[in-house]
Amino acid sequence: MPAVTFDRVTVAVETDNTPEPKVLIDAVSLELTEQRIGVIGANGSGKSTVLRLVNGLVQPTAGKVTVDGADTVRNVRTVRRNVGFVFTDPLSQLVMPTGREDVELSLRRSVRNGTERRQAAEAALDRLGLLELADQSIYELSGGERQLMALAAVLAVNPSVLVLDEPSTLLDLRNRELLRRTLAGLDQQIIMSTHDLELALEMDRVLVIEEGEVVFDGGAAAAVDHYRMLCRDGLPAGKPR
Amino acid sequence: MSNTDTAVKNPISTGRRRWNATDLGLIAVFAALVAAAALVPGLAVNGFGVPITFQTLAVMLTGLVLGPGRGFAAVGLYTLLGLAGLPIFSQGRSGLGILAGPSAGYIIAFPIAACVVGWLATIVIRRTTKARALWFFLSAAVTSAVVVHSLGIVGIALNTKATLGQAFLSDLVFYPGDMVKNILAAVIAVALHRAFPDILVRRVRRSAAQPAKA
Amino acid sequence: MRGHGFLLANYVPGQSFIHRAPLALKFLLVFGCGLASFIVVDWRVSLAVLAGLCGLFLLTGAGLKKLWAAIRPLAAVLLVIGVFQWWMLGAPTAARIVLNILVCVVAASLLTATTPVQRLLDGVVRAAGPFKRFGADPERFALTIAIMLRSIPYIAGTFADVRDSARARGLERNPRALILPVFITSVAFARQTGEALAARGLGEAED
Ligand SMILES: Nc1ncnc2c1ncn2[C@@H]1O[C@H](COP(=O)(O)OP(=O)(O)OP(=O)(O)O)[C@@H](O)[C@H]1O
Ligand SMILES: [Mg+2]
Repeated sequence: MPAVTFDRVTVAVETDNTPEPKVLIDAVSLELTEQRIGVIGANGSGKSTVLRLVNGLVQPTAGKVTVDGADTVRNVRTVRRNVGFVFTDPLSQLVMPTGREDVELSLRRSVRNGTERRQAAEAALDRLGLLELADQSIYELSGGERQLMALAAVLAVNPSVLVLDEPSTLLDLRNRELLRRTLAGLDQQIIMSTHDLELALEMDRVLVIEEGEVVFDGGAAAAVDHYRMLCRDGLPAGKPR
Repeated sequence: MSNTDTAVKNPISTGRRRWNATDLGLIAVFAALVAAAALVPGLAVNGFGVPITFQTLAVMLTGLVLGPGRGFAAVGLYTLLGLAGLPIFSQGRSGLGILAGPSAGYIIAFPIAACVVGWLATIVIRRTTKARALWFFLSAAVTSAVVVHSLGIVGIALNTKATLGQAFLSDLVFYPGDMVKNILAAVIAVALHRAFPDILVRRVRRSAAQPAKA
Repeated sequence: MRGHGFLLANYVPGQSFIHRAPLALKFLLVFGCGLASFIVVDWRVSLAVLAGLCGLFLLTGAGLKKLWAAIRPLAAVLLVIGVFQWWMLGAPTAARIVLNILVCVVAASLLTATTPVQRLLDGVVRAAGPFKRFGADPERFALTIAIMLRSIPYIAGTFADVRDSARARGLERNPRALILPVFITSVAFARQTGEALAARGLGEAED
C-alpha cells in the first residue's frame, strides 16, 4: 500500500471577522498505510479539510503532507496523478454532458491518441458496469448512478489512492449499497469520510476528528464507539435523548 | 480589513501568477452568465434596433468580481464564441455579421469595459473599506460612459450612416436603464465579495502577506 | 430543472454524411450563416436557407423533436422581436430578421448535434495551436470553452430554481432575492467545478 503521511500539519485561514487566523487543523501527524481508512466526526470538525490536504486542494500552513514520498505542495502534479478525489455532490464534479465524455476528459492528459482514449474510456465504464448509461445525460441519471459515473471518471486514470468525501450522503439505501459494493471491489487505497457509521465499521482503520484534532485513531469498532460517546457527552444534560 | 494599508504597497500583479483551475472555472461560468443574460428577452427600443438586455449588467459584474485579467478573459471568450457562430448575442444572434450591424460598437466595447471596470474595482478594494457599493457604482458608471457608450455611438454612426449627433441621441435611450443596471451590478458585486471574500480581495492580500511569512 | 437543453442540440450518435463531414466544413457552415444573415436582404432567401438547413438536420437522424428543442427556448423572444419589428419596419423586414436568427441557431445545432464534444475540443486545440508561441495553452482554452457551454443550461436552470425558492418564501417581488442567489449559486458552482478539475489534475498551468 502507498503511504500517506502527515507531519505536524497545521491549517489556518484568515477570516474577516476575527483578527487571528482561524485554525482548522491543529498539528496533526499521521501515517496511513492500511488499505481502507475511514474518517468520522461531527459537522465542521475538519474531515473535509483532512481529505483535501491529501490531494493538495488545501495546503498546510505549517508541516507537510506526502503521498508516496511526493510533497503535496512541491509536487502537486505528481500527487494529483496518484490521488483520485470524489466529492459529495457528483454534479459539481462531472463537467461534461454525458458520462462517457467526462471519462474521456479525465483521460485527455494521459492518452493523447483519440482512438486509444475512446477504448480506455470504454474499459473504465465497463469496469463499473456503466456502459449502458454512458451516453445518457448526467442530469437524467439517478443520484447513485451519477456518483458511480464520477467514480468511473476518477478511476479511469488509475490513481493509487482514492479519496472520497462523504460519497454516500446524497444516496438512498439501495444506491448506498451499490456504492459500498463497488468500493469493496477496488484494489486502491481508500480514504473516506462518512456520516454512515455502518460504512465506517467496514474500514481497516478509522480516525475520529474533533475540532481539528485526531481524538481517536484505531480499529473501526472502537472508533465508532468513541465517536458515539463523544456525541452523547457533548450534548448538554437534560435535553431529550 | 486590518491590513489594507500593507496591500496598497503591494500591487496585485506581482509576477503575474498563472491562472489555476478555479480561475478557469470562474472565467467559464461568468462567460456563460453573460450569455444567459443576453438571452433574457429584451426589446429593441431605439430607432436603430439595438436591443436592451441585462447583458451590460452581467458584463460590469464580471469585471467588478473577477478583476481586469479574468474579467477580460470571460467577456472576451463570450464575444469570441458569439462571433464564431454560437447564437449567444442578444436575442440569439451570432456571427461575424454582427460587426456590420448597429450593435457592433457595444459588442467590441464589452470586453474592454470588463477590463477597465475590473481595474477600477481592484483600486476600490485596495483603497476603501466603506461604501464600496457606491465606489463600485461610480466605477461602472464611468466605464459605461467612457467605454461602452462612446464605442456604441461610433458603431451606430459607422454602420447605419447616421450622423454622430443622431447616433448620440439614439444611444441616450440606454442611459436610464444603464444607471439602474449599474446600481444593481454594484450591489450584487458587494454581496458576492462578502460571500466569497477571497475571490479578489484575498488575492491582493495574499500576495502582500507572502513575503512576510517566508 | 437543472439540465434542460438550451439553444443547441446535444450530440446524437449517428453515421450520416453530416456526422462524417470534416469539422472544419461544419464550422465554416455555421460561420458562413452568421455572416450571410447580414448580407441577405430578401426574406425569401432566408426562408429557403432555413428550409435547407432543417432538411440537413433531419438527414442526420436527430429528429424533429431535437430540432424543436433547440428552437423552443428562443420562440418567445423571436415572437416579440417579430411583432415589434413588424410594427416598426414592416412585415418583410421582420420576417427576414426572425428567419436569419433561426438560420444561425439551426446551423449551430447542426454542428453540435453531429459532433461529440471531445472532437470539438480536439478541433479547438488544433485551431488554437498556432497561438502556442504567444504563450496560449490550447488545452486549457478548449477546456474553458467546454465548461462554459455546459454552464449555460446550469445557470438557466438556476434562474428557474431560484425563482421557485423565492416564491416559496414569498419573496418573488423583491428583485434582490430574485437575482442575487443566481449569482451566488453560479460563483459557488464555478469554484466547485474548478476545484473538481484541479483534483483531477485538469486545467492547471503546465510549467
Ligand atoms: N476557507 C475557509 N475559511 C474559513 N473557515 C473554513 C474554511 N474552510 C473550512 N472552514 C471551517 O473549517 C471547519 C472544518 O471544515 P470541514 O469542511 O473540514 O468540516 P467537515 O468535518 O468536513 O464537516 P461536514 O461534516 O459538515 O462536511 C469548519 O468549522 C469550517 O467552518
Ligand atoms: Mg465535509
